[in-house]
Amino acid sequence: MSTTTLIVIGLIAAALLIWIIAVFNSLVALRVRVQNAWADIDVQLKRRHDLIPNLVGAVQGYMAHERSTLEAVTEARTKAVTLSSGTVADRAQAESALSGALSNLFAVAEQYPQLRAVESVKLLQEQLTSTENRIAFARQFYNDEVMKFNTAQATFPRNLFAGMFGFSPATMFTAEEPERANVQIKM
Amino acid sequence: MATDAVRPVIIGPRDRESFFEAQRRNRHATWRLSVVSVLATVVMGIPLALTITPLLYAAALIIADIVSIWAPLPPSFWQHANELARYGMVAIAWLGQGKATHPQALVIGAAVLLLPGAILSVGLWLGVNALFRRAGVGGALLALKAREPNQAELKELQLADVVQEMSIAAGLPAPKIMLIDAPAANAAAIGTSPNDARIVISRGMLEQLNRDELEGALAHLVASIGNGDLRIAFRVTSVFETCGLLVAIINAPFGRRSRGTLWRIVRYGLFGKKDSESSAQEAAAMAALLTRSVGLDTDDIDDVFDTASHKKSIFRSVRTFLLFPIFFTNMAIKLSLWFFSFSMLGPSMALLWRKRKYLADACAVQLTRNPDGLAEALRKLNSDRGPIPGGTWAAHLFLVNPAGSDRMNDPKANAAQQQMWVQMWAASEASKTNNSSPPALADLPSVMKQITATGSAAMAGDANAMARMMAFRQAAATALGKSVDEMPNLADIAAAQHGDKAALQHLAEFSNKMKANQPAASDSQESADNSSNFAGFFPSLKRRLKRLDRMGAHVELESDGGKSWIVIAVLAVLLGPFALAALALLLLLIAIMVMASLAFLMVWMAFIHELFVVFLHH
Repeated sequence: MSTTTLIVIGLIAAALLIWIIAVFNSLVALRVRVQNAWADIDVQLKRRHDLIPNLVGAVQGYMAHERSTLEAVTEARTKAVTLSSGTVADRAQAESALSGALSNLFAVAEQYPQLRAVESVKLLQEQLTSTENRIAFARQFYNDEVMKFNTAQATFPRNLFAGMFGFSPATMFTAEEPERANVQIKM
Repeated sequence: MATDAVRPVIIGPRDRESFFEAQRRNRHATWRLSVVSVLATVVMGIPLALTITPLLYAAALIIADIVSIWAPLPPSFWQHANELARYGMVAIAWLGQGKATHPQALVIGAAVLLLPGAILSVGLWLGVNALFRRAGVGGALLALKAREPNQAELKELQLADVVQEMSIAAGLPAPKIMLIDAPAANAAAIGTSPNDARIVISRGMLEQLNRDELEGALAHLVASIGNGDLRIAFRVTSVFETCGLLVAIINAPFGRRSRGTLWRIVRYGLFGKKDSESSAQEAAAMAALLTRSVGLDTDDIDDVFDTASHKKSIFRSVRTFLLFPIFFTNMAIKLSLWFFSFSMLGPSMALLWRKRKYLADACAVQLTRNPDGLAEALRKLNSDRGPIPGGTWAAHLFLVNPAGSDRMNDPKANAAQQQMWVQMWAASEASKTNNSSPPALADLPSVMKQITATGSAAMAGDANAMARMMAFRQAAATALGKSVDEMPNLADIAAAQHGDKAALQHLAEFSNKMKANQPAASDSQESADNSSNFAGFFPSLKRRLKRLDRMGAHVELESDGGKSWIVIAVLAVLLGPFALAALALLLLLIAIMVMASLAFLMVWMAFIHELFVVFLHH
């Protein structure tokens, strides 16, 4: 073999190597984004847990007759907090139970007009509405990122390397039926 | 996020498009247009460099001459200078007469003629970039009188929450929010990069939009920050600012004003502190000064060459003689700057910016998955916009054009306004007669006819009609949420017509008050003058809504049946030749100016150099 052929082969090999490195790095970047998006959902769920005691404390005085509703919310929250290091399936169930209890609380609160006039309760309600939205948007972002990551892995010719480097498709976050019934808050 | 409004079922367009598709299309368009913009800048740079370079050579030659008075330069220096000049002459001969010479000599000649000017321009651009990057956004925020939102107030808390939500949806760090207490409804993303980005939103917008619409509008801004639009905007304005700086420099020998601008910039560049309030304000003021000085502003020059207004003196005529060649250079630079920024640079950058807006719209739909929110927000903002005090120089950063005329008339907004007129008239009737029976809501034309009839009767002196009009005034004031004093008083007008001095006084006071309430009117005028090109930086509401409609928004679009296209085509056919001829004439004029400036400068350089040589040898 002449030196020119060697040089050409070397150049092609170097280009291939650079390309493989680029593919690997882009997949890693996408995976990090997916992990980050998952962590974002966590943050928002935690925020909801932190807000609920405040809300219960604020409305307690006005809703003395609705003890059972309030207790259901507190219980659901406690369960969600204790399960927050458990499996994803358990967590999803606990969180959807909490959503249900919360929506029940807001439905009952509709019957107390004096409650809706209190500024601090309004602010708390807004914060909870926002948290519900944030959870939804964080989930949407997560799913978008998962879609990008999975598409990047599945398309030719990257699918040849993805498995080799140990990448596997991430799973979408799909809400279960009770979770899908969103909390309705009338402002 | 309860969307309880029942939307009419409209059969959608056949050319539906997903937001991902729309994003990709607009990203590609951005690429194409940025290439065009760079090309336009380079094309504009050629005549500029051709005119600036000889000036630099002249300055260098004079400095060399002065230096050689005390310390004679080696003869090899003059030899090199001669050689350079010869190469330059080759290129000029080729330009002037099309004389074919050695291509190598031509390339060297072109480099000799173009490079110094080009290097100076690029250097100035980098300097402007660095200067305004250091200044940051503090000055802009101060000029807008922006404040932090109040977390204890429901609406403002909602705003902060929505921004957070949108940043989560976009996977970006949340930008800071600032509020402007202005009645006009608008919002902007301000900053030089995503790191120092702020979202500025007017209190008026907060009042007008519901949560879904707020979400759409803020998603647009967050997406625009995420897309890197702030960097693009910064670069676009810095090009225009560099043009302004060039004009200021070239004007400096002639005018006090340009010298003042230049001095401010130098002082700021040397002594400006990074985070102080006053320097931030100074930077914003300079940005405004620089963007304004592009254009055919000849005040400073006219002042020098206007011999009639000055006494004749030897000093003045010597100065006029010395500066005369620079006059041509000056005009050549200004003319080519104005022409190219009007015909090429401005439009291509404006189109580029429009694509970024469409892109941000498409991204906003991706974030909210609710194209209706953004569409409705744009509609509302467009019907309720107005100038934002202190925001003119950043006008292109806003969500909808804060000034200027968008010819789209909005049927929904019109209907709402008509409704209000009818209601106001009916309310005034009820309050006058004091009966509680609900007034019949007539249609607008008949109500308007009634109002004008009653008005003219009142002016003619009918006391009953006058009382009716005053009641209407009261009703209008309450409906618009203003005090009665802020509405025009018909009784005063009628009395003034009959020569009542007190009434005249009232009217004068009233008009003064109105003027005081609208300090921004002149502001908007200014920004309209600022954009020295025919293509605006904002896409029309109609086009934006059409694109949102394709992505699934329920928009009622006016169908003009493509008639406007026919009109435009006919106009283009009729006026096209004239426009082309004008274009060619302008280009010719620029070429003549550039050549004249070259020729005059060369003669001038040779003359001054000879003077030095003669004085040196005797």
